[in-house]
Amino acid sequence: MKFITIPHIAAVAVLLMCISCVKDTDFDQAEDITLTPVVELDLIYFDLIAEDFIDPETELPTLTLRDTTELRFLDDSFSRESIRRADFYFEFTNSIPREFEVDFTFLRGSNNESTYQTATTVIAGTPQNPQQTIFEETVEGETIDDLTRASKVVVSVTIPSADASLEGSLNLQSKTTYYLEL
Amino acid sequence: MRTLLICLFAFWGGTSIAQNKQLLYGMDEVPQHLLLNPGGKVSQKVHIGIPLLSQLHVNAGASGIAAYDIFQENAGDINDRIRTAIFDMEAEDFFTATEQLHLLDFGWRARNEIYFSGGVYQELDIISYFPRDLAILAWEGNRDYIGYPFDLGELNVSGEMMTVYHFGANKALTDALTVGVRAKLYSSMIQFSSTDNQGTFVTEVSEDGDNIYRHRLIDADVSLQTAGFASLQELDGANAVTSELLGRSLFGGNIGVGFDIGATYDIGRNWTVSGSILDAGVTFYGKDVETYQVNGSYDLSGIELIFPPLGEGEETIPYYSNLEDDIEERVGLDTITNGYTRLRPLKVNAAVEYRFGLPVGSGAACDCKNLNGAIDTNQAIGGQLYTIFRPKGPQLAATAFYYRKLWQFLSAKATYTIDPYSFSNIGLGVVADIGSFNMYLAADNLLWYNNLAKAKSVSLQLGLNIKIGEDD
Repeated sequence: MKFITIPHIAAVAVLLMCISCVKDTDFDQAEDITLTPVVELDLIYFDLIAEDFIDPETELPTLTLRDTTELRFLDDSFSRESIRRADFYFEFTNSIPREFEVDFTFLRGSNNESTYQTATTVIAGTPQNPQQTIFEETVEGETIDDLTRASKVVVSVTIPSADASLEGSLNLQSKTTYYLEL
Repeated sequence: MRTLLICLFAFWGGTSIAQNKQLLYGMDEVPQHLLLNPGGKVSQKVHIGIPLLSQLHVNAGASGIAAYDIFQENAGDINDRIRTAIFDMEAEDFFTATEQLHLLDFGWRARNEIYFSGGVYQELDIISYFPRDLAILAWEGNRDYIGYPFDLGELNVSGEMMTVYHFGANKALTDALTVGVRAKLYSSMIQFSSTDNQGTFVTEVSEDGDNIYRHRLIDADVSLQTAGFASLQELDGANAVTSELLGRSLFGGNIGVGFDIGATYDIGRNWTVSGSILDAGVTFYGKDVETYQVNGSYDLSGIELIFPPLGEGEETIPYYSNLEDDIEERVGLDTITNGYTRLRPLKVNAAVEYRFGLPVGSGAACDCKNLNGAIDTNQAIGGQLYTIFRPKGPQLAATAFYYRKLWQFLSAKATYTIDPYSFSNIGLGVVADIGSFNMYLAADNLLWYNNLAKAKSVSLQLGLNIKIGEDD
């Protein structure tokens, strides 16, 4: 196709330019084209009950529960290049009569090095009167690089004390708003 | 994505509908008018197109947008203008680019008075409708569109590069009626299409669900057919790709067959009607075929952590891999290598012409024998209709024209064409016969030539032939 398409189209383009003109336009502006979509995406959710903080075998309290999930999209090259800001939104509903400390630690995949960490306190509720705690965190500027180096998040939920009579549940729903620049 | 957008906007130019050669249709002086109507009148005895120069046709266009709309100077941020354009355009708007280059062209009148003609041309044809919802999703994201169903069916794009070998016959059956037919062999070099898509994507607030939103892919059925791409990926370097494609232009790729038919009928001395059907054909894609397909529905609500009790060093549940596997299983990308067939984009032309003014050419001499026969005059007016059948239905254009033979060696035709996208397309074509050389140049959208950037389409045909008339 080398001898067919491109040179001839180019020749015609040149011919067109000779007998006409393109005015008042600046095609260099193409360099300034930036897509800035804002994407809402669900993150993690869980539903813990008071019993989960009691070891079923020993019946002793387990004060800290911990779980990990990979978030492999975070550190892929697309995310690293395009995420400019991330707004985390965590919505806790607590009907356990205890305050909780909840910690989110983002880890780098290869050696589990911590790159970004945030934490909040969830207020106590009762089975009759569950309490909502909303925690929002904005990550932008230089710290966004810390976030997009991570590919896992470890969630730790710590209860100050627990016993078998404790009732209620702790629910988390969460999402992230990603501000992209493409 | 950015590159894709730039490419789309680069196809400026298209209120004239692709492949409408309204200036050349009916221009008997140009031998290549037989490719627009194999049943057109033929005035010469022999013609030979200058290889690579007998006809070049290029057309690029976009309905609903011109390059100027995006790239004008001193008008603020280009991104604001793109955003406005995205919201102003409809899903029926389209971008097209077509190109035809004749490699070989010849014709001769045999003793039985049949005019045989044949040749080879190479064609590129790309059309993309504007996937408005997907453009909004890419440009804005989903934050401001919670609950809005994005339509995946708006994705509609197809393109092909092929070489066409053709041979036709044309005969005046009576003094009034000329008919013709042309057989075509298509040798496809590259083809891709993604046309019959459906499905929606919506992010909705989950009232009683597990998490804040539900991201739903509903009844998705999106596919991309390709022929001739898979093997190119394995080739190394531009030269290897070039020689592979050249090989395919000589029937090394996928093959198709088709035909053109047409007729011209004179009514009395001054009126003529004509019509043609072009590219009634089909291409069979069996070689080097890959179809990529995504099919199914999926609801995503994020990742649920269940905090399993773990011993020392024990790994937790691989939530993310499980999610990926689940998505892969339910709506995964399938690659299919089954062959498929596609109809060629059918084109239909119809025209009526009224001649007046001074008699010219051989017509005058025949008058005494054929008192009711058609005469050639130096002026004519008429109307033409053109339709091309595209994935989302036919695209129609109507043309009014004025023809004038200025001197024996020079004719011109002016056209005014309307279609659903433009009411301001004026074109001009000029044909010169100098000795045995036949030259022509035709271009439309002339009103915009003082600033091409404001034109929504650009279309140009030019060519050079050697033509030997009946008297030579």
